[in-house]
Amino acid sequence: MSTVPATPRRHAAQESMMTTPQTTRVASSHIVQSSPHYPTTRRHSLYGTEDRIILDPGSRIWKVGFSGEGKARDVFYAGGEGGQSLWTLNRASKPADREEEDRVLEAKLEACLRSVFHNSLLTDPKSRKVILVEHPLLPLHIKEIMARILFNNLQVPSISFASSHLLALLAAGRVTGLVLDCGHLESSVLPIFSFRPLYPHLRTTPLAGARLSTHIKALLLMFGTYIPPATSLSATMNIPAATRSTRVPQDVLTDKVIDEIKTRICFVGEPLDTEGPSQSMSPGPGDDLDLPPSDPAMSESEFSRVSADIDSNFSSQHAGSSSYSVVSHSQLAGMEHGQSAQSGVQVLATMYSRHSTATDIHMRVDPPPSQQTGTGRGTLIIPGWIRERAAEVLFEGGDVDESSVAEVILDTLLKVPVDLRKTLASSILVIGGTPMLPGFIPRLQAELTRAVSQTSNSSSSSAAPSRAGKARPAVYDRYAALRPLLPYFAILNNPAPPPPASANASANAGKVPAFTPAMMAWVGGSLAGALKTGGVEVQREKWDEAEAQSDEDVPMESSPPRPAGGAGVRSSPAKNILPDWTRSPLPVGAPPAARPPGAAMSSPSVQVAG
Amino acid sequence: MAPKIEYYCPCLSESPHPPPPNRPSSSYSFHPLHNLFFCEECDAVRCNRCVSVEVSGYYCPNCLFEVPSASVRAEKNRCARNCFLCPNCRNTLTVVPSDPPEDVDSRMSPIVSTTLGEPPFFLYCNHCRWDSAEVGITFEKPTGLAAQLQKFEDSAPEALEFERLKEHFEPFLRASSSSSALPSASSHHVHTNPITAAASSALARDIPGVGKYNPLSRSRVGREKGAHRQEYPDYKSRVEVGTALSGEADVEFLRHLETVSQVAALEQRWTNSWVSPLSASDLKPLRIPLQSKKSKRCPSCRHILIKPEQKAQSVRFKIKLVAANYLPAIAVTLPHAQAAIEMLKRTSKTTSAAAQAEEQQAAGALIAGHSYSFHLAFTNPLYDPIQVRLAKAIAPAQTAEGDEAAERARRSTFQIQLPSAAFPVGAFAEAWEYDDEDEAMFLDDDGMEVVEARGKKGKDGRGKTRSVGIVEKRANVTIVSGEVLIPKEARGDVKFNMLVSYTYRSDDPEPSEEAQTGTPSRSHGANKGPEMKNFSFYTVVDLGSIMYREEPKLTADL
Repeated sequence: MSTVPATPRRHAAQESMMTTPQTTRVASSHIVQSSPHYPTTRRHSLYGTEDRIILDPGSRIWKVGFSGEGKARDVFYAGGEGGQSLWTLNRASKPADREEEDRVLEAKLEACLRSVFHNSLLTDPKSRKVILVEHPLLPLHIKEIMARILFNNLQVPSISFASSHLLALLAAGRVTGLVLDCGHLESSVLPIFSFRPLYPHLRTTPLAGARLSTHIKALLLMFGTYIPPATSLSATMNIPAATRSTRVPQDVLTDKVIDEIKTRICFVGEPLDTEGPSQSMSPGPGDDLDLPPSDPAMSESEFSRVSADIDSNFSSQHAGSSSYSVVSHSQLAGMEHGQSAQSGVQVLATMYSRHSTATDIHMRVDPPPSQQTGTGRGTLIIPGWIRERAAEVLFEGGDVDESSVAEVILDTLLKVPVDLRKTLASSILVIGGTPMLPGFIPRLQAELTRAVSQTSNSSSSSAAPSRAGKARPAVYDRYAALRPLLPYFAILNNPAPPPPASANASANAGKVPAFTPAMMAWVGGSLAGALKTGGVEVQREKWDEAEAQSDEDVPMESSPPRPAGGAGVRSSPAKNILPDWTRSPLPVGAPPAARPPGAAMSSPSVQVAG
Repeated sequence: MAPKIEYYCPCLSESPHPPPPNRPSSSYSFHPLHNLFFCEECDAVRCNRCVSVEVSGYYCPNCLFEVPSASVRAEKNRCARNCFLCPNCRNTLTVVPSDPPEDVDSRMSPIVSTTLGEPPFFLYCNHCRWDSAEVGITFEKPTGLAAQLQKFEDSAPEALEFERLKEHFEPFLRASSSSSALPSASSHHVHTNPITAAASSALARDIPGVGKYNPLSRSRVGREKGAHRQEYPDYKSRVEVGTALSGEADVEFLRHLETVSQVAALEQRWTNSWVSPLSASDLKPLRIPLQSKKSKRCPSCRHILIKPEQKAQSVRFKIKLVAANYLPAIAVTLPHAQAAIEMLKRTSKTTSAAAQAEEQQAAGALIAGHSYSFHLAFTNPLYDPIQVRLAKAIAPAQTAEGDEAAERARRSTFQIQLPSAAFPVGAFAEAWEYDDEDEAMFLDDDGMEVVEARGKKGKDGRGKTRSVGIVEKRANVTIVSGEVLIPKEARGDVKFNMLVSYTYRSDDPEPSEEAQTGTPSRSHGANKGPEMKNFSFYTVVDLGSIMYREEPKLTADL
């Protein structure tokens, strides 16, 4: 192996060799007598407490079921039919608004949780222990609301909190790995070594499903075609569709339509770099500084800001994030007329469409409510290259706050102890809903390779784009430390692994069970439940105790000033009873005043239990 | 939209006062009367958000088979008989036989063909014409189809893989859990963070490379590789993702896609935990999910509020304590809107339905700067006459924050006048028991009060044509009128909380009840007499939203 004898790296190679699980034949003897499903679960009675309920509550989609089963019983949109998310990355800034927001959230969560037990699972919550699959960055107030509903309203006997990343790894049959969860609101990477989540090395990026949706919407607004329904039936015959076609009205692209496009017809194509984009781009306006046509990544990210701005939900995140985005904002303000932005994006479109062989799709959509005059439904024409290239937005980074999905993995690798890098790099696991896009995982593998190897190439030819940073002249080689790891990169659940470059990679890439990425965390929870483990358990007695205690502490403060609170509004419960890793750095028993500022919310001071 | 009224359920909250009506979150604590229950023990309203629900029986909604609870779990809450849903349109599938073969072959099994049809049976959707032969599912017998499919389900790849994973981890966990007990949340254990118990048991061991590094383990480092392999045998998948289904195929399939409908929708495949083909033509029929009969209990006293009859065919209840039998039903109407609608119906026969609806809405609109009367019709469900008293709920003293004050100012932009005196509502009786004499008698009895109410109105509402007071009284219905005055600058919805308290004769005088503090007004209601009891509840009245546009031509004549 071509290893550079740098001291820390030598350690890495050595250490990780021992820790890396190598292929063994030990387990193979068990294959034959793998017991059928029901005999093992037979001893559970219907209402035995051994079967636990596994809840995987996402911001949009919830997965629920019983432990010991390989499949969730029910999956549903928690935010209603439209698929709105229950919570976002933002919270209202005014305290009054925030309180109101929390009340609405609590009411919605209560409806969801009650329906899980009463409609989806048809079981009695009072005799069921619950394993809550939690994202490491699930906001504490949401966790608290869920616990309060489960304990007070539904009266479950206990709740266990288990990290989604860890459970997914369990479902993959591993104890060590680097888990990327690419969900709706954000993508996060958590290294786990030997069952231990290394929370301080958690890295996230907001490039995830929601961003992809806004990007698809923006692309369709610019490049899609809409044919309204003919005004009369005879017109259908006489007037050719081409003359009726218009730009896509914004009302047509409802969240539901966008979601359908995303989940049904989008996929991820291979990277284009092999074609040598700088040559193919020469006809474009090459003197544009902001949107250099030789740099598709850059202009694409420009455009993603455009798209983000179109969607008002996200505009606040972008506004003022950097002066750079201000520039792009002014550009997009005149997007219809401004030559530079228009041409830059246009160039991109032509390049993508030239390289894409994907078919254009005609999709029937409901006409906007303002134009309900025609006969039947309108037609939305989605260019093939949008289907193939919409997900580019997730793969190009270069922004400090919004690194690409590949970069966020590499950033984590840079953070983890040097000894673990090789092991973790060769056992990357990708979970979440967004990787359900066909081609996502192979593309991620390609992007990892490209991001790590690229800078070395570009250092020789200075003109080539450096995707690691915008600083062009002095090449900031961000991932130089990772370059020797290049042959070891392997994605555990890669359905189409590249030819392995090392023994590590060949032992790992594509070797895990073929569970879908979206379901991995739930399956892991089910497995943990069946193995009678599954996180720190909080009993209802403890909760009631703590709550009673907190009531004593603040007897007059919590109830009277909230007369208008209504149903669910509560005396603030003993939140310290809920385990969370953000509280772990403190030694147990430390005074609560020393809580980390991130976790601290306005709460009555409660003694740390125990 | 029509004005409406909803009832408040306090849902065990400490404060009996309802939240201000204008908050979006408030809508969750108000319910239509027919959704509410009434607990006699606690003397309180209960709603579907707070009652505790128990399953009293499972049944299939299609074949109405009552599934014994023992088999519910094994059958995964789905019907294990012949009930299937179409994967495309969720219609119920029917079992159909194959086409009869040519005459030559039919001699082979004449009995079967006459009674049941020809053997390869398959499922067929009458709505979208999907049939299970498309996905290769056929049956030898037309009965017990789910049982025939069960073996496929049991040998589903995810189930087998799952069991294998379990076997893989079980010895490892057993070994490690014996060394250290599982931590609980409150323990003094260092690892009170949400690492799984598996993780914390793993933490007990010293792993080279991280954590408890000590010189003793250093000695083993030399042969660490071998030792380590023994500890963590790598899991060998039964079916590896790389070989199960090629991602390339999916990409190619999507690249050459013709129509959206070729790909299964997200909802059709999101319960799959195993990688499965994308295309819609590969979807399998679904067993129909079971439903349950639910009994509901009061959350505080555990008494049963709803208990359905056991039989799936029955729609009756053994116990049914619904609020509609205890609280007077209230209906809100805006007379000016109704008059306008009547007029529109008479005049404009030709306009389209959409335009008509729009006009109706405009006619019923509340325009700023006007005052309107509204009618509240009270229907008494009790067998005794009741006395009802209305009050506009005043929000209890609020903290004087800036935005709170602003909100209050905004809320009080309109003024509500309600009849202040108590008014009677007749007792409920079967329809034929009412007659003219009864009604006359009512008037004789209560005439004084009606006059009193009118008189009172005369004092404060002088000069106005509309009355605030009793409008109509018949059988067990009394209609009273209120008035809303909307200033010019008002915005938003005309929505207010109303406290309704009524006095009724109690059958069983229970003094202990009085000690219970359910609602504040009950105590002073008890002073009236030993056997009269008072109950009060909150409602929210939504009269509609205020229009800013001045449209004098529509409202001038009203």
